[in-house]
Amino acid sequence: MNNEQAKVAVITVITDVLEGKVEVFEDMQLIGGESLLDSLKLVEVCLALEDLADEYEFEFDWTSEAAMSKSRSMFRSVAALSEEFYNQSRI
Amino acid sequence: MIIVTGASRGLGKAITERLVDRGEEVIGLARSVDTLDIKGIKCDVSDYSSVKNAAREIKRMKRPVKAFINAAGIASMNLAVTTDESTVQRVIQTNLIGTIYCCQLFAPIMLRQKQGSFINFSTIAVALALKGESVYAASKAGVEAFSRTFAREVADFNVRVNCIAPGPIRTDLLRGVTDSQIERIISQQVIPRQFQKSDICNLVELLIDDKASSLSGQVLNVGGV
Repeated sequence: MNNEQAKVAVITVITDVLEGKVEVFEDMQLIGGESLLDSLKLVEVCLALEDLADEYEFEFDWTSEAAMSKSRSMFRSVAALSEEFYNQSRI
Repeated sequence: MIIVTGASRGLGKAITERLVDRGEEVIGLARSVDTLDIKGIKCDVSDYSSVKNAAREIKRMKRPVKAFINAAGIASMNLAVTTDESTVQRVIQTNLIGTIYCCQLFAPIMLRQKQGSFINFSTIAVALALKGESVYAASKAGVEAFSRTFAREVADFNVRVNCIAPGPIRTDLLRGVTDSQIERIISQQVIPRQFQKSDICNLVELLIDDKASSLSGQVLNVGGV
């Protein structure tokens, strides 16, 4: 998986979870005030990314420090989540 | 399968035996798995990495997890002023933080299934504010608060979280507690008798059963308060 594939994959997953009702852009926030997703949907995105990671034969860890940290959370934007998903695919 | 922490001794062992007797596949998590009669995974619940590794191992099995029973725990029967710092740390780390680690790291397995039941352990000492159990009761009060709140967080995924709060059950945790102290505690219960491990196992069986599908975020005080 390359960086671009990761980006497309993450956007596709989020779009699916949101049932295509919202167009998803890279700079969109995933948590916080302007968030696209409620907590329920966020968990669904994570579970779907776990499945996708399975297909690419790596483990997607969404309980890591990177996921939880407030300032560096991978959920701060679609781009950050894509980047983390890509980084984890390389471990 | 059903996962039980603290499966090598005390209540955890009794619960494991009961579940195995009724034909459940049980996996025990314990610091020492050598003495387990069932499949075990070495796990120190107070250590985040250890719990995470155990969760990863279970996840790789790709089998449904029906219930997770947080039975690992340590006690400190002492006045707060005579409890040393390391005991305070150990009690909170194992009882409260260990329960939180297990719930948060094993929850994704159940969220994915959209089914499952967590059973955490508190103590009647929380509701009765029993003298000489302040640190232990504080750790378990945290477990109760966490369980009630966590239950709401996972409810949309059809995952239930409940607490059992036993009174003085005969286990290693009661070492050093005299019969008269036990009598005093029991006399404060609605049903003033000493319950047994088997009574706790009955409650576990009830809580993991579909018949308890309406129960979540509850603390069951054994004997009543």
